[in-house]
Amino acid sequence: MKFLCVPCDKPMTMMSVSPPDRGSLSVVYGCPECGYEMAMLTNAHETQMVSSLGVKVGSSEAVEAGAKKCPFSAMIAPAAEETASGVRWTAEASARMESVPEFVRPMARTGIERFAEESGYREIDLKVLDEARARFGM
Amino acid sequence: MKSYHDIAGDGGSNIAEQVEAGREKIARALSGVRHRVAVGSGKGGVGKSTLTRALASALSARGLAVAILDADLNGPTQARMSGLRGAVPLPGPDGLTLPRSRDGVRVFSVGELIPESQALEFASVASGDAHTWRATKEFALLGDLLGSIAWGRLDVLFFDLPPGAERTAQFADFLGDETSLVLVTLPSEISRGVVARSLAAVPDAKQRLAGYVENMSGYFCADCGEVKPLFPESGEVPLDLPLLGRVPFDPALARACDRGVSLSELPASAATRALEGVAERLVQFLETPR
Repeated sequence: MKFLCVPCDKPMTMMSVSPPDRGSLSVVYGCPECGYEMAMLTNAHETQMVSSLGVKVGSSEAVEAGAKKCPFSAMIAPAAEETASGVRWTAEASARMESVPEFVRPMARTGIERFAEESGYREIDLKVLDEARARFGM
Repeated sequence: MKSYHDIAGDGGSNIAEQVEAGREKIARALSGVRHRVAVGSGKGGVGKSTLTRALASALSARGLAVAILDADLNGPTQARMSGLRGAVPLPGPDGLTLPRSRDGVRVFSVGELIPESQALEFASVASGDAHTWRATKEFALLGDLLGSIAWGRLDVLFFDLPPGAERTAQFADFLGDETSLVLVTLPSEISRGVVARSLAAVPDAKQRLAGYVENMSGYFCADCGEVKPLFPESGEVPLDLPLLGRVPFDPALARACDRGVSLSELPASAATRALEGVAERLVQFLETPR
């Protein structure tokens, strides 16, 4: 989908994408010539069709620009996360989990946390992840 | 005024680039896989999963590196058949690492992740209209899996397809022409008719088709050791395809599937010998240059 500023006859550029709100995405476009800004607001069906492709609207910069509008976003990503059971994930181990498809991730996390608890580890790092794989013959 | 095609790029949505990047990721992940084989049928309940599991086991016993992707996300069976229920894939340095069955076959199945009493659900912001996007979501998920799993060096990667003539055609399209097809039918006219229809739905099937397997081709009686007919054969629906083999129904094999016992652990019978024969002909097909 492309947007054209009709008076300037110039393609508008995407400026930011806000996170979905009740199924609706807000995507802001601006004209580089006259500076006019407009927002595309999707309905839930349009949002769903795009997300069904497994993609996110906008470049990572545009998505980030939208997310940065939240003044607290930088404060909610600590270096290590603590689970309900008290086991902590290091940033490196959490980063490796990002490569796991989203729908597999919760089960993989649970499996690793169970292994860590049974093995007496209080922190899950890359070494623990590799040890868990070795334990299960992978 | 400019038209769509006068403007370069995709307007900043970045969707086309992400789809292309996803394809490249899949190609990279599968670059060490020598052969891909999809086992399908328009008809349900003909033994696609049993055959997939048995072929993987037979090839693994020959020393080949084999994996299975259970592409039937809604009715997964490979976790149970492989004895891997609850064996969760874990992240490694090169991607998702799969659990291995006792006979050495690596398996991904949704059945490893969720119990049989639970259905696979997709998060949705457009409730009530799942039928309009579910197939797209499933293929996106399969693409994500294909690109995220550390397949490494494999001789054969099997895809256990869901039933349905249209699904067989969709998967043949999704997996591309590097994937060979094995179709499964029962000896019944109804089943053969549906398989013929599935074949017609795949435009380039003839070039990619390894052949078909006639499953439940008679009943193996353990008491008398003979194979007796299960279905009347009229020959009204000829399948003009290479026949990879006829496999008789064997209750021992059905029990083994329920319990996650592999083909190589079973005592020899008419069914196991027939499956070994199918595996042999499949290897011949795969190793023949096309």
